[in-house]
Amino acid sequence: MSWEIAISGFGGQGVLFIGRLLMEAGFAAGQEVSWLPYYSGEKRGGMCSCFVNISDERIGSIFITHPDIAVAMNPDAYAMLEPDVKPEGLLIVNESLIKEKSNRLDLKVIYVPMVELARELGDESVSNMIALGAILANAPVVTTSSIIKVLNQMMSKDSAQLEMNKAALLKGCEIS
Amino acid sequence: MYNMGDAIFHRPESMPDRSTHFCPGCGHGITQRLVGEVLDELELRERAICIGSIGCTVTSYIYYDVDGMEAPHGRAPAVATAIKRCHPDLVPFTIQGDGDLASIGMAEIIHAATRGENITIIFANNANFGMTGGQLAPTTLMGMYTSSTIKGRKAEQNGFPIRVSELLATLDGPAYIARVSLHNPANVRKARRAIEIAFKAPMAGMGLGFVEVLSMCPINWKVEPVDAPQWIVDNMVPQFPLGEYKCKPEVMGLKTVVKE
Amino acid sequence: MTERTLMGGNIAIAEGAILAGCGAYFGYPITPQNDLLEHMSQRMPALGRIFLQSESELAGINMVYGAAATGIRCMTSTSSPGFSLQQEGISYMAGAEVPCVVANIMRAGPGLGNIGGAQGDYKQCTRGGGHGDYYLITLVPASVQEMMDLTMLAFELADKYRNPTLIMADGFLGQSVESIVMREPVKKLPDKNWAITGAKGREKRLINSFEMNPLDHPKRIALLLEKYERMRIDEVRYEGMRLDDAEIVVVAYGSVARAAMTAIKMAQQHNWKVGLLRPITVFPFPYQPLSDLAEKGCKFIVAEMSSGQMLEDVRLAVGSQNEIKLVNTYGGVPLTADQIFEAIDLMI
Repeated sequence: MSWEIAISGFGGQGVLFIGRLLMEAGFAAGQEVSWLPYYSGEKRGGMCSCFVNISDERIGSIFITHPDIAVAMNPDAYAMLEPDVKPEGLLIVNESLIKEKSNRLDLKVIYVPMVELARELGDESVSNMIALGAILANAPVVTTSSIIKVLNQMMSKDSAQLEMNKAALLKGCEIS
Repeated sequence: MYNMGDAIFHRPESMPDRSTHFCPGCGHGITQRLVGEVLDELELRERAICIGSIGCTVTSYIYYDVDGMEAPHGRAPAVATAIKRCHPDLVPFTIQGDGDLASIGMAEIIHAATRGENITIIFANNANFGMTGGQLAPTTLMGMYTSSTIKGRKAEQNGFPIRVSELLATLDGPAYIARVSLHNPANVRKARRAIEIAFKAPMAGMGLGFVEVLSMCPINWKVEPVDAPQWIVDNMVPQFPLGEYKCKPEVMGLKTVVKE
Repeated sequence: MTERTLMGGNIAIAEGAILAGCGAYFGYPITPQNDLLEHMSQRMPALGRIFLQSESELAGINMVYGAAATGIRCMTSTSSPGFSLQQEGISYMAGAEVPCVVANIMRAGPGLGNIGGAQGDYKQCTRGGGHGDYYLITLVPASVQEMMDLTMLAFELADKYRNPTLIMADGFLGQSVESIVMREPVKKLPDKNWAITGAKGREKRLINSFEMNPLDHPKRIALLLEKYERMRIDEVRYEGMRLDDAEIVVVAYGSVARAAMTAIKMAQQHNWKVGLLRPITVFPFPYQPLSDLAEKGCKFIVAEMSSGQMLEDVRLAVGSQNEIKLVNTYGGVPLTADQIFEAIDLMI
């Protein structure tokens, strides 16, 4: 099984981070993985994308143009990703910022008000984790528990942040 | 006391028996010899690394019986830095001309100085690019004729001479900075002592040892070799005053008392 | 030992260098290879080795020159504009036969260009790059694993030939993360009976490219040329995929070779006979295997993130009888599997 995942949004929305979590969890599951950041010059606020391969075979292109799973965190990301998702693929749309609706009937499209949901939890900056939860709820890429394991390792020094991220992840799983 | 027939002046042991490629009346041979005397005195034959620069000092390493290497134009301080960082027991030194050090290599000398690298740099200042044919150098005096300022150096075209010793002395890294001259025996002896300190201070880990040597270049100055020393006194010393510009307190202890 | 770990491409170069016994790193920050320099700034001192951030790439490469002349393994890393500045020192090292490793994590030029990945330094890397008659073995990794493995190999080849050796990778590969198998550290480093270490109990040694007698210089160059010829014979490296019955051969290196692998997989689904020849060295270039494929009547697609710099080498190998098409991007734009597949589709 091979998964090609593209996540895109503003720099600062945590696009690279959830890609990293997916890669780490895929790696822990014994899969071949690759992770590639792709962004414009600014560290914050510019367009930022992340491409993740998780596969049981040798990985070809580290660039992904036709993802199985795409996450659009802002309108530019939606414009870039929506036409190119593979047929039968999954598209997660940040409904809080993207007003458009997809006309593609060959996709599973999930609209998630990521910002509002994150705000309900008390921290807008975890909207990326809501998106990740939405992926896990709709595609068996990696297990939620494997993501939580990676989170536990990465955030072992900041329990408040860890709990907030876990809560957002589970919320994303639940709502979608 | 010397007995009749004893040699009282001989070639430094660290210098092989070969004639130099320098022009008649040039100061470089004296500078090279002074360095050779210091290598002997400090017994550095097995520790010194001579880094050649580009210009008249390009093959300075052939005049010493120590390991040596060639550096690109201006980069000798960077080369010396790496050698010293990797091998603190070695004693890298270089003799750089004014084009090499003060023009193309200004970044390398400033940064080696400010990092307080424990290396020795002898800076031969003869107010022009010697080997390439006497062009304008950063040290060329105002109004001075060179092959690229045939009507004399003018401020509006080429700005003003750089006083390297004074410039480097503003930094905290160097241990010892002096400007000396080769225009007469007394000053040559002073130059010898300054060069000795410029080796001793970095060897003691105190920072950069730097000596600027005002040096004769009669061919490019278009003066008779015999008149070149006086040319230094008349033209260079007013612009480049002699003396010590930096001597960290701990360096004072390295000086041996010499009766004039 | 098959311990697997996740690692960034640039970091894999740093760790590969450490495993290869690199004793000193000198470098100047430039995107997109800053993580390599930053990683070295922590790892090298922790291992009791030398790290120094230089005031420029010019100074950095000359620090490498000084350190390498004393016989220790050392390296620098940079990206394209910085690599241009390093040509001076590299030329001196080639002339004085001083080994080192330089990693060029390419970005788009000319000039400032941008920080997007690119392969526009191909000619600069494969044709010497600086002044004078010299060549450098140029290794082109296509995965994070190869970033480590080829860096280790680069140190071996540098010492073997007493010549600077290049790692040429694009910025995309440098910033990507993949899983790799960690390698064993090199245990025994070669003796260097030419290094300047202080003339203790022996005659002095000199490291230079200059001969006092002008008649001696051509002799010195002739020896260098013989050395480059040995490299051409012994050091060609490449990987072939599905070449046995290929009618079309894609030639690509670096991250583009990865896109090409995906493209030929797509072609396979159509039962098209498409193979990949992926140079692992671009100097020396695999002229012979390409020319053998040309003999068999193959058509060629050259895929690269430059104006077609490698295309010239493929033309030299293939000649004028076979069809050769270029598919490329430039200016920091990635070349995708789609674009390569499209070129295959057009050629079929």
